[in-house]
Order: sequence, then C-alpha cells, then structure tokens
Amino acid sequence: MRRLALIPLAVAAVLLPYGLDRYAIHVVDVAIVFALLGIGLGLVMGVAGQVNLAQIAFFGIGAYACAILTTRAGLGFWVAAALAVLVAVAVGLVVAIPALRVQSHYLGIVTLGLALAFINWITNTPEAGGSEGISDLPVPPMFGIDLTSEHLFYYLEIVVFAIGLAFALFVVASPLGRRMRAMRDDSLAAGALGADIPLLRVTAFVLSGLYGGLAGVLYAGLIRYVAPETFSVANMFLLLAMVIIGGRQSILGCVAGAVALSLLREVLADFSVYAQLGYGTVVVLMVVFAPTGLAGLPRLLRARLSRHRSGERAELRPFTPDDPAPVQGGGDMLEVRGVSMRFKGLRALEEVSLTVPAGQIRGVVGPNGSGKTTLFNIVSGFYVATAGRVLLEGDDVGGVAPYRLARRGVARTFQNLRLFGDLTVRENLLVALDHTRTAWTWRYVALPHAVVRHDRALRDQAARLLDRYGLTAFADAQPRSLPYGIQRRIEIARAMALSPRLLLLDEPAAGLNGEEVLRLAEMVRSLRASGVTIVIIEHNMGLVMSLCDQVTVLSGGRVIADGLPGEVAVLPEVVEAYLGEPAYLSDDNEDAPEAAR
Amino acid sequence: MRAFLQTLIGGIGFGAVYALVAMGFSIVYRTMGLVNFAHGSVVMIGAYAASTFSMTVALPFPVAIVIAIVVTGLIGLVIERVLRPLEGRDFDLMLIGTIGFGTVLEALAILIWGATGHAVPSPVGSAPLDVFGVRVRAYSLVVIAVAAGATVLLALFLRRTKLGAAMQAVAMDPQAATAVGVHVGRSNAMAFAIGAGLAALAGGLIGPMLYVSPVMGGSLGIKGFAAAIFGGFGSIPGAIVGGMAFGILDSFAAGTFQGYSELVVFLVFTVAIMILPTGIFGERTVNRA
Amino acid sequence: MFPSPLHRILTAPAAVLSLLVLTSCSAPGEQAGAGESGTGPIKVANVNAQSGQLSSLGKWENKGVKLAIDEVNKSGGINGRQVQLDLFDDQGDPTVGTNLGRKIADGGYVAMLGTAESAVTLAMAPILKDAKIPNITSGQSPKLAGLKSPFLFLNAPTSVTYDETLAKYLVETKGLKKIALISNNGTYGTGEHDAFLASLKTRGVTPLADEVVTPDQKDFSAALTGIRDKEPEVLFIGAEEVESGLIAKQARELGVKAVLAGGAPMGTEPYLTTAGQDATEGAVVSSPYLTNDATEATRAFAAAYKTAYGEEAEVHGAKAYDGARILVEALKATGGAGGQKLADAIRATKYAGLLGDFAYDESGVGIHATQIAVIKSGELVPETAS
Repeated sequence: MRRLALIPLAVAAVLLPYGLDRYAIHVVDVAIVFALLGIGLGLVMGVAGQVNLAQIAFFGIGAYACAILTTRAGLGFWVAAALAVLVAVAVGLVVAIPALRVQSHYLGIVTLGLALAFINWITNTPEAGGSEGISDLPVPPMFGIDLTSEHLFYYLEIVVFAIGLAFALFVVASPLGRRMRAMRDDSLAAGALGADIPLLRVTAFVLSGLYGGLAGVLYAGLIRYVAPETFSVANMFLLLAMVIIGGRQSILGCVAGAVALSLLREVLADFSVYAQLGYGTVVVLMVVFAPTGLAGLPRLLRARLSRHRSGERAELRPFTPDDPAPVQGGGDMLEVRGVSMRFKGLRALEEVSLTVPAGQIRGVVGPNGSGKTTLFNIVSGFYVATAGRVLLEGDDVGGVAPYRLARRGVARTFQNLRLFGDLTVRENLLVALDHTRTAWTWRYVALPHAVVRHDRALRDQAARLLDRYGLTAFADAQPRSLPYGIQRRIEIARAMALSPRLLLLDEPAAGLNGEEVLRLAEMVRSLRASGVTIVIIEHNMGLVMSLCDQVTVLSGGRVIADGLPGEVAVLPEVVEAYLGEPAYLSDDNEDAPEAAR
Repeated sequence: MRAFLQTLIGGIGFGAVYALVAMGFSIVYRTMGLVNFAHGSVVMIGAYAASTFSMTVALPFPVAIVIAIVVTGLIGLVIERVLRPLEGRDFDLMLIGTIGFGTVLEALAILIWGATGHAVPSPVGSAPLDVFGVRVRAYSLVVIAVAAGATVLLALFLRRTKLGAAMQAVAMDPQAATAVGVHVGRSNAMAFAIGAGLAALAGGLIGPMLYVSPVMGGSLGIKGFAAAIFGGFGSIPGAIVGGMAFGILDSFAAGTFQGYSELVVFLVFTVAIMILPTGIFGERTVNRA
Repeated sequence: MFPSPLHRILTAPAAVLSLLVLTSCSAPGEQAGAGESGTGPIKVANVNAQSGQLSSLGKWENKGVKLAIDEVNKSGGINGRQVQLDLFDDQGDPTVGTNLGRKIADGGYVAMLGTAESAVTLAMAPILKDAKIPNITSGQSPKLAGLKSPFLFLNAPTSVTYDETLAKYLVETKGLKKIALISNNGTYGTGEHDAFLASLKTRGVTPLADEVVTPDQKDFSAALTGIRDKEPEVLFIGAEEVESGLIAKQARELGVKAVLAGGAPMGTEPYLTTAGQDATEGAVVSSPYLTNDATEATRAFAAAYKTAYGEEAEVHGAKAYDGARILVEALKATGGAGGQKLADAIRATKYAGLLGDFAYDESGVGIHATQIAVIKSGELVPETAS
C-alpha cells in the first residue's frame, strides 16, 4: 500500500519543473541540496545522538573539493565529484575522533570549533580562492543534456536525493540504525548489549560526511561558485533549525524541515531579520512543546486523543521456561581476584575476591554504598579496576570494553532501568539479538538484500523471545509508557537476547510486588536451568534466601562473609552491617556515570 | 622578549573578558547542568545596553553597566523560565533551545539598534602606561581589576550568603538539597540571572575595547565557552584560568600564524580537549540523567 | 512471517527512477525570461546586504541609490516612465546573491545596482551576464575588473587606483619609504594588500613588515608590536571600517608612531569613532570622495541626502548615487530598453559625477582617480596635488 502511494509522489516530482519559472526552480534546487544536508545531520544527530555542528563544514568540503579539483587540478566534473565525496567522508572520519573521547556539549563546541577552523582555512588558502572563493566551475557534462538549465539539473538532483533518502531510511530501519538509536538513547546500555560504540560513532560521522559531501557536490554543480560565507556558522544554525523544526529523529521530518525553511527563507528574503526572529522563536517553542518536531506532531496528537479513549489494558503473559540445557564447560565461570577500586581517593572496593562456579546462582548483598554495583560495573567492563584481576572462564578480562564482554557472553541489567526509551519493546530486544559486528556494515552498500534477510531473521527471533517472556502484547509500545514491573521483565528479556553464559542482575526485584517477585524467582531458576550462570544483587532478603546457592556479603567495599544463605544471614558482623544502615536510604545511586567510553 | 611580553599583555587583557564570559557559562552549568549557547548573545545585549545608557542617556559608565546587568539578568530569568520544562530531561534539546534564544536575541538587537553597530568611547582616557617598553593599556587594567573584583564577589556570595550556599548545595546534590528545604527552581533562576549579569559585565567592559554590533556575540560566546571547557566546565577557577589561557593562546596564534590563527586556536583546543576531556580543573556538575 | 519494513524502502527508488526515464522526452523550463515591455515603470533592482555583518555598507548604498532614483522620478522619470526601484537583501551571502540573480533575471528587471560586497557581485556576475542584465556594482575588488564581463560596471575605482594614488603620494610626494602593512584576509583586505604591495614594488620599496589578520580578530598586539619594533614611518591598514578603527586605536596605544594610511574606510564615521580622534589625527586617506564640501555637486548631494535621511552623506552613498545616475543616463539613451543595448549605452555614457568624471573602459571601470586627504581634528582635509 505504502509503495503505491509513492507513485503519485514520483509523478509530482517529475512534473514539478513544468510549472515553475527559472527562479522558482532555482529555489527548489537549493532546497533539495539543503534536504540532503538535513538528512546527514538527522542521521548523525537525530539518529546517532552525536551533536555535530560541523555538518555545514562537510557541505563546504564537498563543494570546495569539487571546485578545487575541477578548476585547479583540471579534473572532469564527475571524477572531481566522486573524489570530493570521498574527501568529505574522510573528513567525517577525522571529526569522529573527538567523538570517541567527548560527547554532548563538549562535542558540540569541538565540532563548531572545527567548522570555524575550516572556514578560516578556506578564507586564507590561495588554492581555495581566499575570501572571494572560486568561480567558473565547469558545467557537469551529462550525455549531451545541458545541465546549465536548472530545470534539467533538478532531475539530476532529484535522482540523487531519492537514492540518498531511500538509503537513509533503509539505514535507520536496519539493524545498524537500531543500534545507533539505542546508542543515542543510552550509550552505556547499548555497549552492554554488544554495540561497539566507538565504531558506531565513527559510522555516524562517516554517513554525515557522505551526505554533506553529496550536497556539496550538487551545490558546486548548481551554483558553480563557492565562497566561505555560504558555509558560515549562521548557516549551520539555520540547518540546525531546519532539522529541529522538522524533527531530528525522523529522516522524513528533517527533509520536510529543510525544504520548508529553505522555501520560507526565500519568501522572507526581504525581511530576513524578522525571518531570523521567527525561526529562532519557532526553535524555542519546538524544543519545549514538540521536541520531536513536525514529524512527531501526528504521534503527539494521537497520544492526546487516545488518552481520552479508555483503552483496555494489555496483560503481561506468564513466562514460558526454556528447555533445560546442561551447563557448558563447568569449572569457574567468573573469578574476581583481589579487586580494588578507587575514585579520587574514595575507596569503593578493597581487595574483593569471589569465585562463581558455572551454573550457580550467586547472591551479592550488603548495605548501600558497600560497592555492589561498582563490582558489577567492573565485571561488565564499565570500570577498569585500580588493582586486581577479573577472570571469565579463566581468561583475564580486565580492561576489556563492555561490548566485547557482551559478545563473550556477559549480560547485565541495571539497577535504575536502562531501556532505550525512544525504541519500541521489540526494537529493544532486536538491538540485543543482533550479534553482528558493526564492521559488517559494508553489506549495507554492497548487499542490501543480505541485510534485509538478516533483519527478517532477527525479527523472527524477537517474536519468539517476546512470546516466551509474555511480552507480545507490548511489542510495539515504548517501554517508558509501561508499568515498572513490565519494564523489569523487558530488561531481563533484553539481557537474555544476548544468549549470555553469565547474567548479572542488579536489584531485579526492586519495585516489584509480591506476586511479581515470585514470578521473578521462577524465571531466574529457569534461566539457570537452561545453562546460564547468574549473579544477583538484591535487597529483598527473602528472595536471596530462597533463590541463591551461595551469598557474598559486602560492606564498606570489603567481603565480610561468603557462604550458604542460611549460614551467612546469622553471622554477627553481617547483622551489624545491616543494622547500622540508616533505613531511609533505600536506594543507592551508584550506577555507572555517563562516562565517555 | 619585549614583543613576547607585549603579546602576553594583550592576551591577558582579552583573556580577562573571556574569563568573565566563561564564568557566566560555568555558574549556570554547575547549578543546573545547562549549557547556555545564548550566552554570547546576552553578552552582546549587555554591551548594547551599557553603551546605550552611557552614551545616549549620558549616565556614568559604572551606573550604565549596573543597569545593563539588571536588564540582562531579566533576560536570563526569561530564558530559564521558558526552558524549565526541559530541565533535567533532555540535555541536547535544552542546548538547541538556547541556540534558538541566541538567534532571537540577535534579531531583536538588529530591530532595536540596527545592524550597523556603534563605537563606544573609552571611559578611561589616560595614555597607556609604559613599563620597560611594554605598553599596558590603562583600560585593560580596569577590565582586569573589575574581572578580579567580580570573581571575589561571586566567591563570597557562594560561600557566605544563604542563597549562595543554597546554590552550592543544589550544584552538589539537587535531591539532597531539596530534602533539606532548598528551593531548586529559585536556585536555578538565580544562577541564570547571575550568569546573564556576568555576561552584561563582560559585554559592558568590552564595548570600549571593540565595537558594539549585533554579531559581536558570536565569536565571544564560542571562545568564552571553549575557555570554560578548557579550564574545567562548571569550575569558577577553571573559568578564569581557561579564559586567560584562551586569550593568550589567541594572541600568540595571531602573532605567529597571522591569518591562520583561528584554525590553529581551534585545532589546539580540540587536541587539548581530547587529552583532558574535563579540562584543567575537572568538570563540576551534577549528573541529573 | 514478519515482513520487514526494509524491503519496502529498498524498492521505492526504482519506481521513481523508471518514471524519470519515461518523461525524459521533453524538457521543461524552455520558456524565455520575461521580456521588458515598452510601457509601465522601468524595473531596476538594488541588491545590497540589509542584514548581517556588513549591512551598514548596504544601507548607505541603498540610501544613495534611492536618492538618485527618487530625484529622477520626481522630475518626470525616463521618457515619461517612472523607475521602479526594488531592494533585495543579499545578507552578504553569495549563495543568496545567486538566488537573487535568478529572481532578477526572471522578474523583468532591466538593470541591477549593487552589491557593496565584491564576493557577492562575483558570484552573481555569470548569471547576470547570461541574462544580459547590466550591473553597476559598488564593489572595488580588482577581480571584478578582471572578469571583463560586458555587463559588469563599477561605480568607483578599484583598489589598484586607491592604492596607486596612495603609494604615489606617500613615496614620491612625501618621500616616506619605511612602510609597514597590516591587512585582513577578507575580500576587501586582500584586494587592498595586493594592490598596495604592487604599487610599492613598482617604486622599488619593500615593506618593513607585512602582517595579516583575520576579519573578526580583536586583539592585534602581536602584529602591532612587531611593527612598532621596526619603527616604520607609515602604517598602511587594509581592512573594513571597524577593524581599521580597532587597529588604529591599538596601534597608538602600543606606541606605534607611524602615519596611518589607507583607503576609503578610513574616511568614514565608524572608523573615526572606533579609533577615537587622537588615534586618527594625521592619517592619510585615499578616496574618490573626500568631503561633502568639495564641489557644487557634492554640496547639493549632501544637502539632499541630509533632507531625505537626516544624516550626513558619506562616500558609499555618493558612489551608489553616481552609479544610479549613470544608469539613468543610459536608460534615457536607450529609451528604457535593457539588455545589450543598455550595456552599450552605459559604456558610452560620459558622466560628471560626485566622484569625478566617469568614462567606462572595456573592463567596466569608469573612473581611475582618487584624491588624498589628511585627517585633521576628525575631519578629512584634501591635500592639493603638489
């Protein structure tokens, strides 16, 4: 059905130039260039969550490279264009390097600084024509079609644009795009689920460079003149406004915003101050009242309408246990040897050692601030221990990145739920189910159908998993709209989607009612029966006593007891440690910080 | 040697202004975790307000600056109020919201004062001092003194007054602060007003050094922000050190690389941030995610 | 079976492509641009920055143009037809300029006046040439003349003339040979730098220092300290109004005692107020329009300007006024027709203007002389040729 709707659109796109004069078609041509740029910014900022204020510089690099290669090096337009896009992509790679170290506003100022550096460079370099720019670019040859006619250039643009848009939509809907969106929503959780964050960030910048380069090349062919002012910071902010007003998380929204603002800018060309005032105001209003932009308006409205309808609540179905499987390997799954952790003089862990045999359910208990979550963060790779070793099935895994540990079979849940808020429940699971490496990405260009097949297989798996965890009714809901108990279940399902051998559960019973706790205990036992080793941090002593094979007690960063649940609970030092704890601090906040990893 | 010292002095003069701008960024950031990209435009509004009151209304320069501080303080309150629904929810959206505010302020300045801008006569008329052949502008000394005075006052305010202490508490732990009865919203608004007031101080002071125009905020804002990050975002000493460092870097880069100075400054900045992501003094803020 | 949304997306472009192939038979957009009719007002476009960093120039230019056109319309227009002047804002952005070029080409305009920024004019020139629309620009970059476009004319000398006159005065008349340069790397600054350097070279003078700054630089300590240590007699400044002012102010503060010299920006009000009176005293300015008191014509212009806008006239308004008057003369000659005829008419026009006597050569430059003035107590005082 959707595909049929494209036909009138395509017809309209083909017929459009017949109704426009030379000036109007020029405006449309420029708008298409900005739409391509908008797609690039949408991919890097809206989808991958990288604050990239250098998009306009990628645009400039594409246009300038094309101009320099044609006028100075005497290359043909298309050869120069291909090289120019490559240059833009390469620059995207370079700009991605800071993104590996810093994020958010830090990345914003760094990319903005690099954009200024670029403008400074082109204004100074004689090869780039200095501040007067480069004029007299050659007309792109096209089998005898005269592309000086902007009506005909429009067709070239629309073809590039259609392919670019389709590719962007394809990427966003694909496993790669899902991982990027997961990284945007919560890069720590995405890393814990096997997404190699550094490579994903680089990929995002490469895509942004690609679209910037394409837009730049088209611009060079269209205007046949380049000058520094076109790539100014003011235009970067205009581009940003386009993407925010359109809706940064939706590629179509970005396109709509870019086209709308380009046209509006022309209409208001003689009132540019008022236009500036207007779009500034709209940006402010948008971020406050409609953060998802124009693209998000239908959903906002629908949400408002459906609130009035009394919806019958979908129900959480019971968990279906998996077939029991023998524990693989045997021996010790996890060994922590003399691990210490210090944060700026604060001792979080001191010489902690524990050994978890394969197939065990191990409880880790202790008062708040005793270092339990810190221990988990070390085992799952978020922190690197100050001293000591962590062995996974005998291999030293100290300092191994979370995504690598995830691939080696370590999965975890978080004390404060870390579900991807803007992804559906199904997509949350799909992210974890995808075990391919990001390096697999080349297939997106070379073998798109392999990607489609892969995605289809993932969706089948996801459906089975949803069913097994009784979540099918919520498959297409956003997790944050669901009750707390269901969110806990989703997080466990998501962790299990990794097919781990070691599962770390951080306070899985927090916030659950009695009935839900019982079901949780059943589920955990069943998971163990299917061959998974489980370490569980929990305050609910009843659950720990009934569920765990062995319990380790931490206090003040040290192991104060280790043994069978019944024995440990009566040790005087354990009782004392627990009694000494102020009752009102029910929740310790020591999840891993938003570290730039 | 003399050229070196002269460049250094020039850099410190502008560094003091960058430091004031950076301090405005930092005070807002440490209290409410918001990056105010409109800060540069607030500096510009402050410069216009101060120069208009001193030139057109013929008020004494310090009085004009005080009025400008009040004006921009109110603007700060408006920005904080409008963006409050986003507070603690989406960091990047707030950042973009402030960019929108910056655009609006710039457009308003053009509508009120025109696009042309005006020069501001120096309130200190005396000739530059000559110290062993190194010329020190009298006005630069005034700027440095005022910047130092503002820093001391801010530090005293944060340490000694009840409101200041409340702001410090919010900066350290908003939940605990709420628990002991601190009004977080009021604290945030106060931080924003102080940040905007510092912007007006910076703008008012820089008016006579430069030329007041609607676009002056752009590079001041970007460099002030970069300075704040360089020193350690959210840290008051960091803002001062960062501002000075940036002014001096700017000055030497201009001397050595001439036209390419901006390229060099931002490349150095990028590398510095990659080596020390949280700046010299480390980031001081709460994580409210 | 769960149909993947990916598949839908993949097949979509194929449909678009096949449609495109189908319709490639006849091309759109072959209609000619709107031709000018013999009746109704004659449409003239004025393109100048009304917003952005350099909008002050654009506003002055527009005032000059408007004054000239209003006078013409009041005195009955051209062969009884009124001149319709439409202002377009290029925002100082060449891309916007190219958009406007197309707009003008399709809007039935016979000629364009402006822009004040050489970069924008350079970007628009090919479009206007294709559309055969004559353009009298206020830019003064030598590159404009270098284009040799038959449809591009300048309403002022190029930097070459400004700086040749200046160099001649400094080196030959005054015998000053210890000269230092400071210029920005913007379009204007680069043009000034290259032209002045070339003029010095022909006189066998090598500058003591040649410092380059950026257009939005604020602190010039490093460059100026270097210059001071070389103790030049003259400091040539090649930058726009405000930056020239800042450089002059800081140069004096740092103890540079050299005579300041430069082009038209140094005769303007923003320069004088930014630098302050002390710093500007004794500066040498090369400009085709020094004061409103030079001749009968400039006095009349300045009076009319003051009546219309309530402020003092200055060089940019005068340039633009001259350009507009030349266009009017040419339009009278063609009877309101545009295109090649109008371009030829402009080239043939001899006009005694505020800046001097215009006679266009094949590169579109109509005037080849500037005068020298020295600033005394904030006023430009013309130096009589020795």
